[in-house]
Amino acid sequence: MPTEINSNPAAIEFDSVSYTYPGAERSALERISLRVEPGERLGVLGPNGGGKSTLLKIALGMLTGYRGAVTVDGEPPLTARRRGRIACVLQKCEAELRFPLSVRQVVQLAATQRLSPWKRSNGAARDDVDRALELVGVTDLANRPIGAISGGQLQRVLIARAIATSPAILALDEPTVGIDIEGQARFAKLLDAIHKELNLTIIIVSHDVRAIAAGCDRVACLARTLHFHDAPQGLTPQVLAEVFQHDVAGAFGEVHVEAHTAEDCPGGHVHAHEGGQSS
Amino acid sequence: MKTIEILTGPAADLFWPGVIAAVAIAAQCAALSVLIVLKRLAFLGQGITHAAFGGVGIAAILGLSAGAGFVVVAVFCVLSAIAVGALTEKKKVSSDTAIALLLVGSMSLGAILLHLRLTRIGPTPMAAGWESLLFGSMLTVEPRDAMLAWVVACIVAALLFLKRRPLLFWAFEAPAAEAFGVAAGAMRLLLLTLAALAIVVSMKLAGVVLATALLVLPGAAALQLSRRLGVVFALAIALGEVGVLGGLVVSFETDLPAGPCIVGCLAAILALAWVIPTPKAGTLPGTAGKFLS
Repeated sequence: MPTEINSNPAAIEFDSVSYTYPGAERSALERISLRVEPGERLGVLGPNGGGKSTLLKIALGMLTGYRGAVTVDGEPPLTARRRGRIACVLQKCEAELRFPLSVRQVVQLAATQRLSPWKRSNGAARDDVDRALELVGVTDLANRPIGAISGGQLQRVLIARAIATSPAILALDEPTVGIDIEGQARFAKLLDAIHKELNLTIIIVSHDVRAIAAGCDRVACLARTLHFHDAPQGLTPQVLAEVFQHDVAGAFGEVHVEAHTAEDCPGGHVHAHEGGQSS
Repeated sequence: MKTIEILTGPAADLFWPGVIAAVAIAAQCAALSVLIVLKRLAFLGQGITHAAFGGVGIAAILGLSAGAGFVVVAVFCVLSAIAVGALTEKKKVSSDTAIALLLVGSMSLGAILLHLRLTRIGPTPMAAGWESLLFGSMLTVEPRDAMLAWVVACIVAALLFLKRRPLLFWAFEAPAAEAFGVAAGAMRLLLLTLAALAIVVSMKLAGVVLATALLVLPGAAALQLSRRLGVVFALAIALGEVGVLGGLVVSFETDLPAGPCIVGCLAAILALAWVIPTPKAGTLPGTAGKFLS
């Protein structure tokens, strides 16, 4: 059984965490140590199969049996999730979109989960739903059937569903998959607005350099093992591509990262710290 | 009208338990049918109904009373549904193959055990009436069966109300519901258990072969007619009552078996719902959120 750390002020803390899926020969995560401060926006960048979703599932308390210690908002991950301290938007939306639910009801499903079954939705929960819908800009869609909105609108609704639960931490798994460049820019702005308004800790895992570069204060590269890079506003994809080649090639072979124009991700530099951490 | 004559005549006492049970059975099965259709569990429902026949065989070979037999059949149905889930989750076989295995396996088990009971040990009331369990019979529904149907209907209604939020979240998107703290496995087990209980109390009226119709057709028809969750549930229950009671009237008027008449009525309602245009994907009325309040 994994041991847990108590009375930790970090939003998320991983202490030497390793995880191997049952039946797998190789571990998905190897001795990961990670500390995310409250209010910080951390991007976890890595190739497919690099352990990003595994890391997120452990933080959400959806995977147990890991070695090492994990705390989320000072509590074991499962406790934090059940108390609504961490909310997420999963990589793949598996919603049954012909379900006869309105956009508002979908958001309400999450916001009212912890209410007693005897209680009707109270004013606070309704306010949370309204505020979340407004923050992601879908108030005008509130009474639309969930199956009658576009993919981009659905993504906003799923983010509203997460923030309507009033979490301290928002976790996003591959949030820009299938979204065009303009959509990614809008998504980055949206995330920035949410962060400013709610002061949430945000953790984004993605294989998409652009998604990470646009919306995070700090970047961690993950390919079974974790490497931190100072990545304030404006890391250039070219530099990040070099970092990736350097860090990931050993485990996954050559990694191709598409280089984008300077306009996509305005200037700045990333400093790689070989084999260890820096922040 | 033969229906009125039958229900007011000297033999009315034989038929009223079936009618009273039918009202409760229609309501509980219809409410569950919305979730079963939305979760695409119709074929699993078919498997569970047929598993009930295996449970009847076990109860018969053990010589159990009707009450104990009810428990055994219900437990057997739930365990069968769990076994299908476990086989599917471990990717040993596909879901439809697992359900087909359950379906034919349970029917075979039931047939063998009932045969052994009747030919080698001696008949019991449950074993002797096995043929009516296949397609249902009004006359086999006794007052205690009607009472049991209402008790189960109350249990189904209470649990659907108390667990409405996690159950709907799970039904809408199970992985996300789990990530938000809903016990997805428990919700699946709850729905399957309620379906199993509803099937067991429906067996005598509709028969194990036809009971699936009660768990699928009302919900499928209601979902054709509305995009509002509260309306869908209310419509499903109303259409379920119309189908089941209408089927009984047809049965009385034509002297045909009740089960097939009920299924025929429910199928006709679904066909009508298909003909009526589906509501367009516009804006729902502003009170759409109230159902979840």
